[in-house]
Amino acid sequence: MTTPLLFEHIQNAYHSLRSTKLRTLLTILGVAIGVGSITTILALSGGVTKLVTSQVDNLGGNIAVIRPGVVSKNLNDLANPATAGMFTTSTLSEDDLSDIEDIDGVEAAAPLMVLNGSIKATMSGTKPANSTIVATTPALEQIAHLPVRDGQFIDSVTNQNTAVVGSQLSVDLFGTNQSIGQTFTFRGQVFTVIGVLKHMNNPINYNNVDFDHTAIISLESGKGFNQGIAQIQQINVSAVSVSKLPKVIRASQKQLLANHQQEMDFTILSGKEIAEPTSKFFLAVTLVMTVIAAISLVVGGIGIMNIMLVGVAERTREIGLRKAVGASNGNIIWQFLTEALIMSFLGGVIGYLGGYAAAFLISTALPFSPIITWQIAAVALGIAVIVGGIFGLYPAIRAAQKDPIESLRQYH
Amino acid sequence: MSKKNPPVIELRGLTKRYGIGDAEHNALDEIDLTIEKGEFITIMGPSGCGKTTLLNILGLLDRSDDGEYLLDGKSVETLSNARHARIRSQQIGIVFQSFNLINRLNVIENVALPLTYKGIFRTKRLMMASEILKSFHLSEREYYMPWQLSGGQMQRVAIARALVNNPSIILADEPTGNLDSKSSHIVMEELSDLHKRGNTIVMVTHNPNLTTYASRVIHMLDGKIASDTKTPIIEANPIVKIPLNADKSSSKKHSKSRKKKQAKK
Repeated sequence: MTTPLLFEHIQNAYHSLRSTKLRTLLTILGVAIGVGSITTILALSGGVTKLVTSQVDNLGGNIAVIRPGVVSKNLNDLANPATAGMFTTSTLSEDDLSDIEDIDGVEAAAPLMVLNGSIKATMSGTKPANSTIVATTPALEQIAHLPVRDGQFIDSVTNQNTAVVGSQLSVDLFGTNQSIGQTFTFRGQVFTVIGVLKHMNNPINYNNVDFDHTAIISLESGKGFNQGIAQIQQINVSAVSVSKLPKVIRASQKQLLANHQQEMDFTILSGKEIAEPTSKFFLAVTLVMTVIAAISLVVGGIGIMNIMLVGVAERTREIGLRKAVGASNGNIIWQFLTEALIMSFLGGVIGYLGGYAAAFLISTALPFSPIITWQIAAVALGIAVIVGGIFGLYPAIRAAQKDPIESLRQYH
Repeated sequence: MSKKNPPVIELRGLTKRYGIGDAEHNALDEIDLTIEKGEFITIMGPSGCGKTTLLNILGLLDRSDDGEYLLDGKSVETLSNARHARIRSQQIGIVFQSFNLINRLNVIENVALPLTYKGIFRTKRLMMASEILKSFHLSEREYYMPWQLSGGQMQRVAIARALVNNPSIILADEPTGNLDSKSSHIVMEELSDLHKRGNTIVMVTHNPNLTTYASRVIHMLDGKIASDTKTPIIEANPIVKIPLNADKSSSKKHSKSRKKKQAKK
């Protein structure tokens, strides 16, 4: 029979860890680094998800997004991202768009066609880096809630060679955000600015387009750069009401399957699905960082095991004595396991705090802030304790299995 | 020999073998031994005669290969390791040649250590340890660390530790082996005093002088009991009368109490 003696073990561990302060501290640090990086990753990726989720929520929950291809979370696809995403030829066509617009219950549908090429101010010749051009229909303004600060959004009347620019792009191109009437050149064609969007500062969103750095042109103009064929990366669909959305999604799916010879070569996302990390790059970064963090956790665990084995070897006589005065194997296991668990728990606490410090530091350079939830705290501390338990168990069992006679004979 | 109280220890044909094949030899060869309550037994013998092996088996730190071991009338040979640990914690006190105090813990915590595994709470433990230390005249050393004590004091602390869980039997393996003669006498005084208070003690020693404290002397040779003599305690032990400057007060008290007991008799 083994009495738990929890308090005794904790007190005991406190004394023995205190007597070897430096190496205890270093071991704790090893765990803290692993737990810290996990915390940072969770806090930041949680921040991104929350950002996109809140955007989707703001849209009112009646939005569905149709993307070409089948979204795969397969690791293999992440390793080879070039074949995925916007560089491939889309399976969505202009016919699909018009068919969806005709479905009962659809309020509006807007395509996104992202074009390659650089924007150049006609007057000054400035070519801002990091800008995109998107061809779409007037419906996008309503679906994506794009706020126009000056002028107007593109519409069916003014569609030829006119553009709406993001506020930051306006500043980058023309040095001012009062740029209505100015012109810029894109692939040899001149566009006149008819509207400027409000500064939004949410580069990460479900459209995968940073509208602050984007010029919006009509789908007709966009097709002109692509041999008259629309190359649609995404169709945003809004239903007339939230309750109609499931019906709209089912009808859209049916319609698209009919258009695509019953080939499921597209994905319809709604609600929370839209909010899932839209950027494969971000997903890949998160994954790689998680793997690195896991490795550092294992290394931290090995550190615990190492130090515990040293401690067990050093205290062989103590173990022998404790057994001689009545400690059972279970008592000895728990004594050493408690030590390992305390070290890993402290590592977890320090790592959690340090991880958040790092997350907030990093987030100063990012457009979103880390989230604080009890789940992250639970994961961080849980992982730490599990690591301590796994890597502390072997030394503890080794300690318990020592023969008391041999142990007491040992001098040091 | 009263039949109501079973002997503290009863061994029947106890055998312990070491080695394999040609190299096999019996460290203990069919030992029969009965130890009654209140005896002070000294086991003597040359190195390798099996006396330490015997003590380890008595203390349940080791298992015999053959034979029977009854502790307080109950067979303990076949019990699990966990049960052995429990018996060690409740019925056996062990004193080692090299004291084996834990350096991280102070005197009172060292003495209280066996009580931990009896499941006694800390405050109670320390009170009990303090009580024992008082009877060993070590009250003022309670919060010393082991390295701040002399060898004799360390061994007395170790004896206090062996006694704190009120064991049926105290096993001592060369308790004076690491001590100078003066400290040896203090420690032996202490053990002798315990014996007089009714404790059962089994002590292994090389030193023939120490047999004078014992009520029974066992000589071992090649794993067998060569001789077993009951001796009357020499009350007027001349060694006791040597003035001990290391711990005058306690030795005086001891001799006083001894005289009182003699008077009663």
